[in-house]
Amino acid sequence: MTFQSQFVPLSIEELPALAVRCKDDGWRFVQMLAVAVEDGVNLVYSFMKDGVLVNHEIASVKPEDHVPSITDTFLAAFVFENEAHDLFGVQIDNIAIDFGGHFYAVSQTSPMTVISPAQKEAREKARKLAAAKAAKEAKAAKEGGEAKAQDGEDAELEAKLAAMDPEKAAKVRAAMAAKAAKAEGKEA
Amino acid sequence: MGKQTIIPFGPQHPVLPEPLHLDLVVEDEKVIEAIPQIGFVHRGLEKLVETRDYQQFVYVAERICGICAFGHSMGYAETVERLMGVEVPERAQYLRVIWHELSRIHSHILWLGLAADAFGYESLFMHCWRLRERVLDIFQKTCGGRVILSVVKVGGVVRDIDVAQLKYILDVLEGLRAEYEQICRAFLKDTSVKNRTVGVGYISTEDALGLSMVGPFARASNVDYDVRSLGIGAYGQLSDFQPIVSSDGDCYARMEVRTREVVQSIEIIKEMILRMPQGPIAVDVKGAPADGAESSMVVEQPRGECYYYARGNGTKYLDRMRMRTPTSQNLAGMTVALAGCDLADVNTIILTIDPCISCTER
Repeated sequence: MTFQSQFVPLSIEELPALAVRCKDDGWRFVQMLAVAVEDGVNLVYSFMKDGVLVNHEIASVKPEDHVPSITDTFLAAFVFENEAHDLFGVQIDNIAIDFGGHFYAVSQTSPMTVISPAQKEAREKARKLAAAKAAKEAKAAKEGGEAKAQDGEDAELEAKLAAMDPEKAAKVRAAMAAKAAKAEGKEA
Repeated sequence: MGKQTIIPFGPQHPVLPEPLHLDLVVEDEKVIEAIPQIGFVHRGLEKLVETRDYQQFVYVAERICGICAFGHSMGYAETVERLMGVEVPERAQYLRVIWHELSRIHSHILWLGLAADAFGYESLFMHCWRLRERVLDIFQKTCGGRVILSVVKVGGVVRDIDVAQLKYILDVLEGLRAEYEQICRAFLKDTSVKNRTVGVGYISTEDALGLSMVGPFARASNVDYDVRSLGIGAYGQLSDFQPIVSSDGDCYARMEVRTREVVQSIEIIKEMILRMPQGPIAVDVKGAPADGAESSMVVEQPRGECYYYARGNGTKYLDRMRMRTPTSQNLAGMTVALAGCDLADVNTIILTIDPCISCTER
């Protein structure tokens, strides 16, 4: 048995059915966690069977969204669901052991969703740098492609000249050189 | 039918090394229901990942718990290495396993001492903690610290163990094993210990699976699951690994599983030392995890499976770091084990779960 882990998307509506299906199929509930993202909170529900860890991810849960509890299927989730409520402000309905917002004694509402301005700035900067790097790489790839195409044309011409009568080939080369010199003179 | 009363248990209680509160609903001397409450020592360590870069956070991770400190630093590092696609040198993987198994030995022996103290066997408690000191001596000799080791980094480890030190470890463990087996006889054969533990706090295999229990708590109920059997890191090099299980599901079974796991850990360390490859102990890790990249990992801590999650945001600071500790997974099992027990057995049952509340709250 070897360890594998994977992330798969999930919607709020699919969650209760997924929990029941996992329980029926012998998957073990591993954990549930919340991640603060720019457009809400992501919820990750993890299940494991035979060394395969599958993380089902509900993206961008808004503060007004209601998420059903899975504690009727997996009681062990009550700790994580209370935590997601107290630290991330996620509204979870019908938790089997519900502490009503008093699981953790925190002085601030949803403290894990607060992102400091410095952190925000650093993330923006990293995003811009990544975008600039990607654009530079795309440009280099495009230029490389054009240069490659030019090299291909030159090689084809050389092959044709090699197949010609040497005197005729010399004349063609001289004409091409004169044309190139004329074009350079015009540019200057 | 008697009158129902609620007895508050903890967070300050002689049997609890850490703050856990339980509302025990009792009828005469029987516990009908137990409602756990934590939240007294929440430190917000996961939030700190936003202001400590991914190398610095190793030192925060190992401060989550004073007993499984090494395991947390290793679990965190392995998760970030997975996130960044870092290949750790083989020797570093072996060294990590040695320190991790030493942590398991000292954690289990510490727990055995606490259990002995809980059922009034103080001399046994002292013998257990005396033996545990020898493992801490190994830590001091090989790492410099006795509790916080600070030897893990993302990409490997920061210290090697030389041949002389490896021989020292083998000698200490050999001496420890002989004395430990004498102590185990007291735990497993003594009638007064059996009276307090056999048949107490029973959990069936079906309940253990349904409640997603982990670690020795689950294995004592015949759940054949141990993360080490997945062969992550140098555990994959072991010639054979079988999780230690018991089918009795009571406090005695939990104690038996832990006592046997100490011997198993000694054997694992011996094998690691004999097979230890030469080579580098770390690789340089540069750059930052990609924006939106995610990884997850599991590690078998002394108390059971611990889950780690990391998410990058393109900077050297992670977006999110998550540790789901074994105790938070076992709290539901604890409430089931307590339901129906005698009030006098509550402390023994709680202890046999080996709860670590500091880990749980982070």
